[in-house]
Amino acid sequence: MELVNMLRGAELFHGLDTTQLGQLATISQSETYNTDDVIFNQGAAGDKVYIVAKGQVEIRFDNQKGHSQTGLYLGAGQVFGEMALLDQGGRSASVIAIEDGTTVYGISNQDFLNLCQTDTAIGYIMMRNMALDLSFKLRHQNLDPSAGL
Amino acid sequence: MIYKVSYVVVGGDFPGGIKNETEKPKVGDVVQIGRVKFQVTEIHEIIPPRDDFQFLHATVKPLVDEKK
Repeated sequence: MELVNMLRGAELFHGLDTTQLGQLATISQSETYNTDDVIFNQGAAGDKVYIVAKGQVEIRFDNQKGHSQTGLYLGAGQVFGEMALLDQGGRSASVIAIEDGTTVYGISNQDFLNLCQTDTAIGYIMMRNMALDLSFKLRHQNLDPSAGL
Repeated sequence: MIYKVSYVVVGGDFPGGIKNETEKPKVGDVVQIGRVKFQVTEIHEIIPPRDDFQFLHATVKPLVDEKK
């Protein structure tokens, strides 16, 4: 139930009922990282989407000049790794934990897509929420002159 | 209510951050973005709320130790 409540607090899952959140909880796996642990690297194959439950992560990427640059920090309730889920491409950035005990929940792309096909209501709601989250990140980028995402 | 907050740092190259807060941020609050602490200087609503979620933009500046 604790995991269901955590999922309920993330916008990605907004609109899902308790039963649907329970289904997502069964395919979510907790991962805990310490400061400077790499969750995944830019360019790697993307096989999971993640939600930050605790702590913060740094989104870091190589810019056009080949220099590594921090684009954004994400804290509790935020989703990352969703681009690879949507477009099947490699990771667009590296993600690094910046606090000891940073906890994320990972959902495998295949499990997620299977669930969306089994329960199309979940698929509709979550794809919509994912689009809204990407929209929010774009608005943040437009407001943040340092964000070179 | 859950407050999804976009924190943007004024000036410099420090990137901002996004996180959910359980209490609405106020001007003067101290927030940690990445490894650095900042003070909130402005709060605006970015987009209309949806049910239990409110979407805010907060401008922050580096926290200055006034004892120095």
